[in-house]
Amino acid sequence: MAVPYLLLQTVVLPVLSVPVLALLGRRVGKRIGWLAGGILAYTTILLATAGHSLWGGGAPIAEEYSWSTALFVLKFGFLADGLSLPVALIMNVICCALVVFSIEYLDHRIHVIYKRESKPLNAYYYSQFMLFATGLTGISLATNLIEVYVFLDFLLVPLYFIMDYFGYTSRHRVATMCFLWGFVAGALFLVGSVVTYSQTGSFMISDLPLLAGTPLALTASLFMLAGILIKLAVFGFHVWLPWVHAEHPSCIAGVLSIIVGVENYLLARIFVQHLPGILESISLPLMVWALVTMVYGAMLTMAQDDVKRLYACSTIGQTAYSLFALASCTAFGAVGGIFYFLSHSLGKAILFSVAGIIVYKTGVRDMRQMGGLARKMPVTAMLCVIGSIILSAIPPLSGFSAEWIMFVGIFQRGTLDTVNMAVAVAGIFATFLTMVYTFWPVMRIFFGPLPQSMEGVKEAPMSMLVPLLILAAISFILGVYPEIVTRFLVPVLAAA
Amino acid sequence: MMVSGLAPWLCWALPTVASVFPVVLRGVSGRTKGVLVTAAASLSWGMALSMLPGLTDTGYVERGTVWFTLPAGGSVGLGMLIDPLSIILANVVSFLSLLILVYSLRYVEHDPGADRYWFFMSFFIGGMLLLILADNLILFFVGWKIVGLCSYGLIGHYYHDDRKYWIGGPPPFPSQRPSRCGLKALLVTSLGDVSLLASTLIIYTYAGTFNFMELYQTADVWLAAMAQNSGVLTLTIVLFLAGPLAKSAQFPFHEWLPEAMAGPAPVSALIHAATMVKAGVYLVARVLPIFYFAAWVSQPSYPEALTFFVLVAAIGGFSALLAGTQAVVAMELKKVLAYSTMSTIGYMMLALGVAGLSPESLVGGVSAGIFYLISHGIFKAALFLCAGVAIHASGSIYITEMRLSRRRMRLTWAFMWISVLALMGVPPLSGFWSKDEVLLSCLVGGQYALFALASATVAFTAFYGVRLLGIMFHSGRESEGGGGNKDERGEEPSRLMLLPYAILAILTVAIGLAGPWVGEMIHGLFGGYFTSLGLVAVSHTHSTASGAAALPVTVSMAVAMVSVLMVVAGGVPAYLLYVAKKSSAAVLLERHAWLRAAHSFLWSRWYMDAAINRVFVRTTLAARGPFAKYAEGSLDRAINVGIPALISSASRGLRRIQTGVLSVNMLYFMAFLVLLILLLLWQEVV
Repeated sequence: MAVPYLLLQTVVLPVLSVPVLALLGRRVGKRIGWLAGGILAYTTILLATAGHSLWGGGAPIAEEYSWSTALFVLKFGFLADGLSLPVALIMNVICCALVVFSIEYLDHRIHVIYKRESKPLNAYYYSQFMLFATGLTGISLATNLIEVYVFLDFLLVPLYFIMDYFGYTSRHRVATMCFLWGFVAGALFLVGSVVTYSQTGSFMISDLPLLAGTPLALTASLFMLAGILIKLAVFGFHVWLPWVHAEHPSCIAGVLSIIVGVENYLLARIFVQHLPGILESISLPLMVWALVTMVYGAMLTMAQDDVKRLYACSTIGQTAYSLFALASCTAFGAVGGIFYFLSHSLGKAILFSVAGIIVYKTGVRDMRQMGGLARKMPVTAMLCVIGSIILSAIPPLSGFSAEWIMFVGIFQRGTLDTVNMAVAVAGIFATFLTMVYTFWPVMRIFFGPLPQSMEGVKEAPMSMLVPLLILAAISFILGVYPEIVTRFLVPVLAAA
Repeated sequence: MMVSGLAPWLCWALPTVASVFPVVLRGVSGRTKGVLVTAAASLSWGMALSMLPGLTDTGYVERGTVWFTLPAGGSVGLGMLIDPLSIILANVVSFLSLLILVYSLRYVEHDPGADRYWFFMSFFIGGMLLLILADNLILFFVGWKIVGLCSYGLIGHYYHDDRKYWIGGPPPFPSQRPSRCGLKALLVTSLGDVSLLASTLIIYTYAGTFNFMELYQTADVWLAAMAQNSGVLTLTIVLFLAGPLAKSAQFPFHEWLPEAMAGPAPVSALIHAATMVKAGVYLVARVLPIFYFAAWVSQPSYPEALTFFVLVAAIGGFSALLAGTQAVVAMELKKVLAYSTMSTIGYMMLALGVAGLSPESLVGGVSAGIFYLISHGIFKAALFLCAGVAIHASGSIYITEMRLSRRRMRLTWAFMWISVLALMGVPPLSGFWSKDEVLLSCLVGGQYALFALASATVAFTAFYGVRLLGIMFHSGRESEGGGGNKDERGEEPSRLMLLPYAILAILTVAIGLAGPWVGEMIHGLFGGYFTSLGLVAVSHTHSTASGAAALPVTVSMAVAMVSVLMVVAGGVPAYLLYVAKKSSAAVLLERHAWLRAAHSFLWSRWYMDAAINRVFVRTTLAARGPFAKYAEGSLDRAINVGIPALISSASRGLRRIQTGVLSVNMLYFMAFLVLLILLLLWQEVV
């Protein structure tokens, strides 16, 4: 029993709901968030249905709609195969969880910034949030490069507006910064796509293998890669991330880390799957660059005292893990890299939301002023530890399974020669730093004596905690039974 | 096969599943939750007992299924490996866990964090049994990390860092908070874990499997592949060993263990005496056949594999001495026991290392190590449980302040003496036979330097053992007791707490009395096992299976004599100082400067902790600020402020061209026309 226009629904429904949420929300206020959550729950169920049919050995679901037949034939298509489906599904789940999380958080934020109650502003937020869901799902299901570009830039709209209205320090400036960085990166990607078209005559991702061997193949690839790497915040291009991720309202910070991580998906889709030769030629430099990013990101994270900036900087290093794995040009590395991206998204959503809860309940961002909060917020403390466990790759949560799978690939690459082995060993030791910068803040925030000023702090409401617990449960299931992810990814990526 | 199919699975799964209930159940009393967890542990022990009949079968049993699919048709298994090693350890661990949980029922009765305690304890026991029974390196690693995680949670149990739970000191020496101690343990052991994982994955890239038995059986194939890249085998071994050495608190990863004493006493008993620290020993024993095969049996042999045994033996021997000397001056009760544990595990590592250094000592070394593991687990757990009672009864963690009454705590005093005498290696208690075996295997293997090291450590052990009890119970000035519950001051604890260590002490005596036979039985078990694996030639079996009896009786007698001599050499001075009080330590220190220097060196833990702190912790903390300011700050400013500034200054500069003055604009217009004409003329010419 196939659902008609399944993929089209998942992509388009959120954006169609924007005016509904905006107008209805003006009356209803923050509770419109439940409707937003319901819509995203529906799209998640749709994707899960698609996943179910794929699980049983079904063919990838492909939908195609004609977009333009004027100057050149451009088809607007969606493809849910072993690679895109798990990514789209997990991203949708996280968006759904975070939109429910936002209900209490955003209302408080509005009170803090605008010093008043505002139902229209609440409505505005939820309508903008839905654009994230469309953009992210669109990127993962897209079948041609122009489509990818459209959805990439689509995401800039909510990023800008939500930051501008609801962000923290110097929100107007950071909103502009966020937009410009994303726009430039997208433009570079577009240039790469156009050059690809000039060589292959097609924008379709499935036609990318034709690019290999053409005279401008490397140019096109480097342009696309530049766009991807800027958005991935590799070392050198990372300076926008601490600002953007820290000053955005914490309720969507989890979505932000997905937006960074989905570039890894693009890397897998475009380069690992279709242009392995080109990736192979830049493998070692890319791995070294990723390694530098991992170490630099870890050191930067350890230097932070601001709880939101802490987790923001952590994203730099963590997304570099997936880059490190994908650049190894091995099947294990690719599967592990994408799995790690999914696992990290879950963990980072939890951690950012915990940071949000702390800021919401205590009004304090500086960890030097915190301590002993586990007494007052035991569930939040437990969630913070769970998030740290996911990032530190400790079993039985998903981070461990993802990490060891990916490092098998990296070590397979290491058997090539001494340099590669050194890079692999350095890489795995770099993962130790994650444990330092996740568990040390847990101690600073939640253990030890409670400051006098925080005696009145209470635990967060259920609507904020339950979504995070659900994300933690998903991570646990993926950790204990990784088959749920690997059965999808392996057939698609193992051909590489 | 007499082993019931489900037994090993239930063995580790029951405590794991039971761990959830204390946290999730509401409206149930703390006592009931504790009883629930203890019941699960007892069932787990039952499962382990049911596996005992499997000891008589030679060889191993594997039960499992595929866990999940991997690329290139690979797969990782979810299975149980049942052989003498895992059966023995599963029984030791589940038995000790049960007794310690019974003790805990009373210990955490009034602890507000009791739910958390039961969760972590139960999850820990499940994880420990999982790692013992796992049949492949990945599943093993899952249990290994779970154990580390629970250790973190339990050491930092008193996370609110109330002053009375701080350890260290006494003033003016610094003290540490429990939460920091938990973090330290987590980080140090995790460094070893990362290294172990790296090594595991390297092995997988060459061997294509994680399964212990498959790794052993296909060893000749993957070792040959590995040997093609020079140095990879050595790298793999070194990386591999960091894991068990860190977990078992051996040099240079040992500094987390003394701090781990911040946890409740039953935690120290379970994790840092009976189980977790033994996990490293277990892993070394588990992979030992592979490296022994590589070094001695395979054709061609791989001398690189000997690195494994050299490192294990050398580090084990050194750690034994290192810790022994530190225990001699320690003032906290649990620190003495912690150093003692590190020292004893050094012995076990020594035995396992020696096992592979020569072909004759394989069975002897391994059985000595495992025999000592069993006996040590029993008497050390007893000691830690007594320590909990002593600290509670006296209200102090320092042995010099305890001054416990022999009269009022007669039973605890007796059981503690039995355990300490076993630790010292006094015949006929269990410790003597097992320690004897370790020394013997050193001699048999021709490792005279290590034999000397081990013997010296015996003397130190005897000294600090007598010193410990001398100061605690024989100080001559009994106080009224100063701690805890008013009714319990200086008194015997309740039966629920007394019974576990009573059982353990009695067991120590029992094993001691049956010493030679127990030793021989274990020897025979491993002899048969290694023969079935093909590691020991059949002719060898006859000579080694009978173990000590095969050697000239004079040699084993000589070893026994040396052992007793060392005990006397260490014990008598301690007796004179601390029990008979012929002199006092303070007087001796005053008189001899070299003693003072030695004391200060040992008290500062050979300056190792300070060095690690300075090099790793303080540097990182100090570097944070400058790094953020100068490294990230300058990059950030250069790009986020610099580039916009560049663009805006360029646009300001460019704007100046648009003067708005008509005559200037006309000039531009004219210049453009001239340029156009020139261009057209040039086109004509060309």
